[in-house]
Amino acid sequence: MRAIREWIHRLLGTVRPSRRDDDLAEELRAHAELAAERGHRAVGASQAMDALRDQRGLPWLDDLGRDLRYGLRILARSKAFTATALISLALGIGANAGIFTLLDQVLLRPLPVREPERLVHIDWRGSKVGSHYGTGAPNKVSYPVCQELEERREIFDGVLCRHPTEVSLSTGGEHHLTRVDVVSGSYFSVLGVRPALGRLIESYDNRQPGAHPVVVVSHDFWTNRLGAAANIVGRRVLINNHPMTIIGVAAAGFRGVDRASPPALWIPAMMIGQADHELDVGLESRRLFWMDAVGRLQPGVDAAQARARLRPWFMQTLQADVEHADFPPVSPEQRRRFLASTLEVLPAARGVATLQARLERPLRVLMAGALLLLMLASLNVAGLLLARGLARAREIATRMAVGASRGRVARQLLVESLLITAGGGLLGVVVAPLVSRVLRSFIPQGADVSASIDQRVLLFALVVSVITGVVCGVAPVFQLKRLHLGAVMTDRSGALGRRSVHLRKLLVAGQIAFALILLVTAGLFVQTLTRLYTKGTGFDTANLMMFSLDPTSVGHSNERAEQIMRDVLRRLQQEPEIERAALASSQILNGGMAGGPLTIDLGGERRITDRTVFRMRVTPGFIETLGMQLVDGRDYTDRDVRPPGEEPGPYRMAIVNETFARRYFGNRSPVGARVGPGNRPDTETNVPIVGVVREISRVDMRDRDVDQIFYNFWDNQSENGTFYVRVRNPESAAGAIHAIVADVDPRLPVNNMTTFDDQIERALSNERALATLSTGFGVLALIISIVGLYGVMAFLTAQRRKEIGLRIALGATRRDAVWLVVRDALLMVAAGILVALPAVRALRRLVEAQLFDVTAFDGPTIAIAAASLALVALTAAMLPALRAARMDPNAVLRVE
Amino acid sequence: MANEVECSYVERADVLRGTLDLMVLQTLETTGAQHGYDIAARLEQVSRGKLQLNMGTLYPALMRLEQRGLVRGKWGTTETNRKARYYDLSAAGRRQLEKEKQAWDQMAGIIQTVLHGKA
Repeated sequence: MRAIREWIHRLLGTVRPSRRDDDLAEELRAHAELAAERGHRAVGASQAMDALRDQRGLPWLDDLGRDLRYGLRILARSKAFTATALISLALGIGANAGIFTLLDQVLLRPLPVREPERLVHIDWRGSKVGSHYGTGAPNKVSYPVCQELEERREIFDGVLCRHPTEVSLSTGGEHHLTRVDVVSGSYFSVLGVRPALGRLIESYDNRQPGAHPVVVVSHDFWTNRLGAAANIVGRRVLINNHPMTIIGVAAAGFRGVDRASPPALWIPAMMIGQADHELDVGLESRRLFWMDAVGRLQPGVDAAQARARLRPWFMQTLQADVEHADFPPVSPEQRRRFLASTLEVLPAARGVATLQARLERPLRVLMAGALLLLMLASLNVAGLLLARGLARAREIATRMAVGASRGRVARQLLVESLLITAGGGLLGVVVAPLVSRVLRSFIPQGADVSASIDQRVLLFALVVSVITGVVCGVAPVFQLKRLHLGAVMTDRSGALGRRSVHLRKLLVAGQIAFALILLVTAGLFVQTLTRLYTKGTGFDTANLMMFSLDPTSVGHSNERAEQIMRDVLRRLQQEPEIERAALASSQILNGGMAGGPLTIDLGGERRITDRTVFRMRVTPGFIETLGMQLVDGRDYTDRDVRPPGEEPGPYRMAIVNETFARRYFGNRSPVGARVGPGNRPDTETNVPIVGVVREISRVDMRDRDVDQIFYNFWDNQSENGTFYVRVRNPESAAGAIHAIVADVDPRLPVNNMTTFDDQIERALSNERALATLSTGFGVLALIISIVGLYGVMAFLTAQRRKEIGLRIALGATRRDAVWLVVRDALLMVAAGILVALPAVRALRRLVEAQLFDVTAFDGPTIAIAAASLALVALTAAMLPALRAARMDPNAVLRVE
Repeated sequence: MANEVECSYVERADVLRGTLDLMVLQTLETTGAQHGYDIAARLEQVSRGKLQLNMGTLYPALMRLEQRGLVRGKWGTTETNRKARYYDLSAAGRRQLEKEKQAWDQMAGIIQTVLHGKA
């Protein structure tokens, strides 16, 4: 107790302000005068002043400087040690900081709005009856429900509705496909975002369908695309060829509520008919689910309370829905599931969670990997420091013998390890941007995520390196406590290290364990990637391109639009740059296909499909253009094309995939059988199946065992679609395509033009990121643990020279000597592997969702990883082992 | 080391490290608040002239004690109406003095025993 008080006093002493020079000078003058009064002479004033200055220069700072200088000198002397430690830490810390940069932006950073912690995302959980529209968050609500949520004032201070979509935008010249958010009038006021210029959308901008042609542009769009013009308010723009007026610019830094897709502009929900004419009924219908609802909770209400209070109201709403005239006839089971739906209230301080949903798991996996790598590096540095502590035992003992206190020496060692880790941290800051740039390339273009390392991440790196330093520094200090001075000074054989050898062996086993975990994870992700590539898409992606056209977006009538689509297709098929061309209703691997139930006529017996059948409309030649495999029946031919001018009608024919055929027809051929879209009792089954194809990927590469149906493109409305073209050379073909489209209508934007190879790369970006980085981690882990193992083996062997020499002298063969050393290494590896296995098992939950066609606890993968570790460890142990075997026993024994 | 006391100015008394602090504290305990000159004068008087402290010895000790919170310094005026800085014991200083006196007595007893063979 007293000791503590004394320490507190001393500590206070170092922070208590020292006296000022002139104050002491005055006191000394007074002293001299008092002395003179009594006839004495006072001396020593300058020593007193010196003492004041000495006291002011904090003594511990002085010591620290000395420790630092000494530490640097020592480190500079052992270059190999310093370099190894620095590099392993730099890689560990750099990977951590780099990954944390993205993790922070995707998962941690709140939206730049007022009190983001009060925002919640209101999510429909359960089975819906109706149609789901749009990209982004999966569990949308209808516009009427979103509006009714706003009235729950006892829960919400306000609720906004938003629908992300793309429109054809012209600010003067060309039309460009542009991301927009279609929003309710409450959008900006609920978020508390202010205008940078003009005003924002208010509730009075969202009263009557089609009556509010106003837009707000984002600050980024205003600066990058509109030249930051000060007179922008009042400017006309064309949205899908509808004139609208810019009324303001949103605050800088505000990029909407979904980081995955920052909109360029915001449009009132009442203008949805202009933004996406398919959805104009969405303002009224309760059967169209297309709005993300984000609410601001009333003060004092939390998410759980909001959920509970919404429940009774939502149940009534569902009941009213079921009784409403527009509710389709569904099976009792579907009805029951619909009524069991709930509203989930999720914290949304970080916005609507699409980017999180996509990247959260992979980022967490990578972060865990990076942390493992850092732990491995730390263990390695701790091991190295420990070895050095032993090598320097005599030096340390000498210092202690001449009077350095134990604490003083401990501090010296701590300063040294902090020097190393701080250096590693600084180097890590250099490595971090490389890692985050690699990672950034795997995240969708345009997402509000930057690869630049910010200051908080630097702080993170610093904290990590300091913690590592302290942890690593503690190891030798701990060991120092056990040092017996006399033993060290007189010891010649190095026997004193026996106990710490155990510690070092443990450290190496720990490193092996971490390395195994990282290697196994890398193996799993690499296998996932290769299996996805091997599985492929079901069609030939080389030199295959696609792009979309929507002539109605620039104001053409449906008839004219269809004619344009026909013209463009014909011109493409005549173009020498292009081998084949076809047209379809949707973009494979980008948005995918729509799905729904089918009714099948199985020889008079009606059967409703028990799972979703995904549909797409394709023109004749589509199967050939993609190189899909036709396994039964026939493709569509030119005779199946509806003549121009004839009105579109219901579907007249269908091609199904093999999965569908096998599921519902077994071994029989489905060709000739009839199906009908829908599952109502009155659904007509009058669409004959004419062909069967192999399955293709729909939304992403993981798709498999999915039922698909390909209707004839021309049977239905054909005013927009996606062209698929097989080309000779994608670059020159792209030019030819633009020329053809511009020739048909210069205002028409070519949307989403991409090659399939690019598309696949994008579709596999998560898998590639995981495979690339985890392999990187695995290799680094391997290298670091080899260094650690080699270090400890070399040390152990040196310690056992006498013993080995003696054994050889007594008749042991050289092979015995090698085995003696190698056995030690293998034991460490085996221990490490045994420790790692349960951890690999535990990792399953983290990685399983990211895998494809391989289980998380995959025997062969673990065996290969363990074998390669053992092999590498053996190599690392071989060098010192051979050295031991080669030694001359006489020489060794004579030394002793 | 900055903490070490420069003793060379203390004539005919090889003052051990820390004893000067002890003596200053004891002086303040006996006399109450005092300025630097009077502390030196008092010590000289008590030691019958054997202990003459100059400013270069006394003031570092006073500053050290003040830094550690054992004494408090405050400007005041002497009876002859001169400005002087007065030092007074703090509660912590009083405790510290008690502790160090005990330790000193114990040590002195031991040394006495060692040197002369009896307590």
